[in-house]
Amino acid sequence: MSTSSTAGAPPPAGPFARLGAWLGQERVFRWIPFILVEGTFLLVIIVPFLLTVYISFLRWRANRPFEQTTLTGFRNYEQVLNDPGFWASLGRTFYFAGTAVVFELLIGFVLAMMVHRVVRGRRIYITLFLIPMMVVPVVAGYNFSMIYLDSGPLNQLLSPITTTLGFDPRIRWLSDPTAAQIAIIIADIWQWTSLTFLIFLSGFSALPPQLINAARVMGASRRQIFFWVELPLLKPAIIIAVVIRSMEALKLFDPVVLLTFGGPGTSTQTIAYYLWEQVWAFNKYSFGAAASILLLILFSVLIFTGIWLLIRQTEQVKKEGGA
Amino acid sequence: MSDDIYKPSAEATAERHRTGIDTRAIGRHVVLIAWTLLVMFPIYWMLQTSFKDSGEWVTWPPHWVPHDPTLRNYGQIFTIDVQQAGVAREATEQPFSVWAPLGDSLIICTSASLIALFMGTFLSYAISRFNVGGKRFRHSVLMIRMIPPIVIAIPLLMYYAVLIPYASETVLGTRISLFDTRFGLIALYVTVSLPFVIWMMLSFIDEVPYTLEHAARMMGASRMYTLRKIVLPLVASGMVVTFLFIFILNWAEFLLALTLTHPKVETLPVLLNKFQSASEGRLYGPQAAIGTIITIPVVVLGMLIQKHLVKGFSFGMMRR
Repeated sequence: MSTSSTAGAPPPAGPFARLGAWLGQERVFRWIPFILVEGTFLLVIIVPFLLTVYISFLRWRANRPFEQTTLTGFRNYEQVLNDPGFWASLGRTFYFAGTAVVFELLIGFVLAMMVHRVVRGRRIYITLFLIPMMVVPVVAGYNFSMIYLDSGPLNQLLSPITTTLGFDPRIRWLSDPTAAQIAIIIADIWQWTSLTFLIFLSGFSALPPQLINAARVMGASRRQIFFWVELPLLKPAIIIAVVIRSMEALKLFDPVVLLTFGGPGTSTQTIAYYLWEQVWAFNKYSFGAAASILLLILFSVLIFTGIWLLIRQTEQVKKEGGA
Repeated sequence: MSDDIYKPSAEATAERHRTGIDTRAIGRHVVLIAWTLLVMFPIYWMLQTSFKDSGEWVTWPPHWVPHDPTLRNYGQIFTIDVQQAGVAREATEQPFSVWAPLGDSLIICTSASLIALFMGTFLSYAISRFNVGGKRFRHSVLMIRMIPPIVIAIPLLMYYAVLIPYASETVLGTRISLFDTRFGLIALYVTVSLPFVIWMMLSFIDEVPYTLEHAARMMGASRMYTLRKIVLPLVASGMVVTFLFIFILNWAEFLLALTLTHPKVETLPVLLNKFQSASEGRLYGPQAAIGTIITIPVVVLGMLIQKHLVKGFSFGMMRR
């Protein structure tokens, strides 16, 4: 750039000034932060991954030192792919994520629409609805473990219904397989509906009022305005919410540890919990390495799709905004 | 601009003017208040449990307010003898200290967030002004954030516990392990926060008009001077928001802290989890007190940056 000739106009007087002049150079500014950040990524993400690829070809468990391991080729990968636990927990993760995300999107959308139309108390509603997102997931897990106690408040609240239906009011939320799955999904919905609410709320407040007024003047009904004007304009928000929430929901780990430890049996083991158990409880290091490489490959497909959707969406918005 | 979100929509105001009493509005408030109760209930339950004594933790029917409120749980975690009882009589009254994990959490989260903030801000400036790293860089950096943490945790365990000690022994002659150290966790948190810093700071820096900077440069100001006197003051509030945001994320991080630190370094979420297993014995009251201690700062910080969050999560949808 032509402006670089003006850099370092004052004459260097000491080491500090010289350092300042050096820092002021165009190329320093351009590349130093880039190299620093890329270096961090390289050291903390890429090198460990290369190491993991190597370890995944070894035969290694914790009971023997690293130096005495032997290469075994693709045996670990075979073991992972033939392991029913791996596939079951992967399927369960998608089931939990799918169910929770659908509810989160629906509830978040309805809440955002309502809050958008509310006149009085908007600010209070927004503040209160965003709180669950800020609660540390571990704390949320603990809170729900209190609520789900056999003699906890949830069973007490449900007891009028359960006793009339003839059940035992003490539903064992965390030790019945189906109930435990529902319990984890509910905890996830409680915490992350606030995020979809936030995304949809900013989508709603970005709606151009002129367009909606124009539609009303032309005699469109409420329903027509919603389906033909507002909903198409909210498409970017919906896509963003779906992408972000799905990616996050597939990482589900904290509430599982806090609520059920993957149990009863394996009914609430998500893929994150399953791998954690394999590596940290059973010390199957090379098995864990192979599994995490496989998982990374699988997830990178999803991540690329997600990023591609996000890029397309933001570029489209920019184009429309600029026009 | 960011205040837009709090103003009632034109539609809502128009509707209120048209009809005196709005039945739709009342219906809306009923639904919204119901959701408010649902949202607040688990938090309320934690708060009131933290003031219950051991006899009241689990009862049927459960007590909705502590019948005999006590500060003993807080005394127990801060190792202050509230009741002047001297020696604890029961296992549930054992004092256990929250100070060390609190210190670890504060040191790790603050330093990691600050380092990530400065590295990320300078890089965002370079991306915004010189397009460093190409057109797609700003999106591709988000990919790191989308990798499930368990997939990062397994390689890092082996890296910290095997490769670095092995390499340092051959090169330096001493075994250095990053496993179970604050530095190891800080380096990791910096890495996982950087994508968010870059993403958020880019949106702030992109808004600083280049003409302003250009004018200063034309008048002979150096790049450093321009940055310090023009760009930084304009993005300072953005930096604060970004810092608080990644601080909240790091504060809440559980999986990496659980897997990469064990006996020596312990963050608050890991401490809370420790008493969840049957082997340590559930201490519902002190756990609730720890939960409250963890939650209050982040909720307060979160409320401070709430308006900016609404803008930050709109990904450019908000009208300028």
